[in-house]
Amino acid sequence: MADLAALTRRLAETPQEFLAEPRVAGHGEVAVAALVNDVLRLYGARAGAAALAQFEGVDARADRNRLALAMIMAWLLADEALSAARPAQEDVIAALSMLARELAAVTRAHAFVHDAERREELVRSVLARLGLRPHGETEAQSADRLSAISALQRRALLDASRKAEARARKVREALARKLAEESADKWTRE
Amino acid sequence: MNTACTLEALHKERFPTLTPDGQRMLDFLLSHPCAPLYRNRSGNRLLQHEVEAQLAYEREVASAPIGWTPGHPPDWVMPFVAQAYAGVPYYRAHGAAPRRLADVRPIGRADLAADVAQFVPDDAPLARMMQFRTTGTTGNPLVIPSHPVVAARYAAFHKRALRRIGIEPAHGRGQVGVVLLGFQQRCFTYVSVTPTMDESGLAKINLHPDDWRHSDDRARYLDALAPEIVAGDPISFTEYLTLPVTRPPRTLISVSMQLMPGLRARLEQRFGCPVLDIYSLGEVGPVGVFDAALGGHLLLQPGLYVELLDRDGAPTPPGVAGEITVTGGFNFCLPLLRYRTGDHATLATSAEGPVLIGLSGRRPVRFMTLRGWVNNIDVTHALEPFPISHFNLHQDADRTVTLRLAPAALGCADAARVALEGLFGTGTVRVEPLDAQDKTLQYTSDLAGAHE
Repeated sequence: MADLAALTRRLAETPQEFLAEPRVAGHGEVAVAALVNDVLRLYGARAGAAALAQFEGVDARADRNRLALAMIMAWLLADEALSAARPAQEDVIAALSMLARELAAVTRAHAFVHDAERREELVRSVLARLGLRPHGETEAQSADRLSAISALQRRALLDASRKAEARARKVREALARKLAEESADKWTRE
Repeated sequence: MNTACTLEALHKERFPTLTPDGQRMLDFLLSHPCAPLYRNRSGNRLLQHEVEAQLAYEREVASAPIGWTPGHPPDWVMPFVAQAYAGVPYYRAHGAAPRRLADVRPIGRADLAADVAQFVPDDAPLARMMQFRTTGTTGNPLVIPSHPVVAARYAAFHKRALRRIGIEPAHGRGQVGVVLLGFQQRCFTYVSVTPTMDESGLAKINLHPDDWRHSDDRARYLDALAPEIVAGDPISFTEYLTLPVTRPPRTLISVSMQLMPGLRARLEQRFGCPVLDIYSLGEVGPVGVFDAALGGHLLLQPGLYVELLDRDGAPTPPGVAGEITVTGGFNFCLPLLRYRTGDHATLATSAEGPVLIGLSGRRPVRFMTLRGWVNNIDVTHALEPFPISHFNLHQDADRTVTLRLAPAALGCADAARVALEGLFGTGTVRVEPLDAQDKTLQYTSDLAGAHE
């Protein structure tokens, strides 16, 4: 059992250091692998070099948002009450790797700090992955609530991605028009 | 649909604010007995409220200071970054906006070429979107999304550069303001009027004889137009020098390629007017204007921040050359965040703002000379006295050097060879004609270590 309100409050108060730039291919300030290693130690877990390698970013487009989320999750998991609940070590590692990957694919990492609904989604997702649930909720209730909140987000994402595709298509069409090719006059031309 | 109606609608779209005087100017440019064969159509496409906004923009750009020094991004940069991460698909996919500019991953021409639509902001208006194509020196075409308002804004930066040398463009109704010169086999040519200059005429012409009924018509036509400004590049200006023009412009504006001092001097002498050498890119617009007293190109855009990056994307130390990387710009269809231009320079400061020193297209190439490795800038210095429009200098693996010169510059082949032999040694340099009429890579080498 965990205190949902306290954990979402903790997320809302995420220190700036955990919102700094994750290091990806030499860019950025925070070595996320080292941070993850520190958090795992709180849970008595030890990650091998191979497991930590996934927290070394290679490509900004593919890794930056996921690593930014792993940093926020590291702050959440450093909560004493959570570590005191003694979840399975492999679940903690799975949360930081797989859950971060799943959530970062659909949501901007910092939304899990700045947006109340996303904070709840992240806390519930982490608790579920650790085999915990909020105080006062049955297993079924917490599963329902998580599924509702995630479904909403996924639907919103789907809409956004459809809109983005439609917009990109319209931009390409606009650029391909004859008048677009003919352009407008300029005082000089490169 | 009725063809006449369609043509009329297109004409209206090209010239939304055209008056009978403006139409007379277009007719004059098109039907002059010595006029060239115009191959294309274009127009200013500005709506009335955009003409007024452009005048306000020109006033703003005229006096706005460039309020930053190298290594210190101005206050507008991070809000600009945040806006791009919120409203530009490419950046949105990267997550939240970084808190420091240094954490924005630089992009290059290849990123834009992969799918430029991803770089167009969600709120960029599409109804009158247009495109410019640039080829650069690599020959890979790139489509630049743009807008009539963006095209019109070029003039604001040219006027800023002209004002520095005491020239205030004044040609208006019934006069021709600007002639753009090309000299290519195939060239996009058209006529237009500039509504912010009381519909002064604008013509983009190709000096290649194939575009004219008689090649003598070129000088006659230019004299009939008597433009206030002639814009071109070193290739078209070299051809312009050969024409018996009797009514020179008030100024020449050279863009798109390095203008060698020898050619600049010839142009100034022949036409008796100043020559502005503008460093301009399709992706960014006019970036800087050359000022010999400042020793380089003074930046022109108050809303453009410039960094110099090394090959790994790290800022170069003060005084060390790096790739010119820009953030900001005036094209609201293509906001640029740390865009690597492919050109290199060092940055200095002046009372008027930052200055690009030793600007060179592409990554510098080193050459092995009698005194060891030298940068290509030293080779440029050796060639400075000669009126060369464009060239290629190549060093083979056996250290021999080939200078390829545009045909018009072959007259100074011997003198150029002697100047280069001063660097490379007697008997190591040969000069050949350069066939390419367009941009070429200036410096190339097969020697190991040339690209260190």
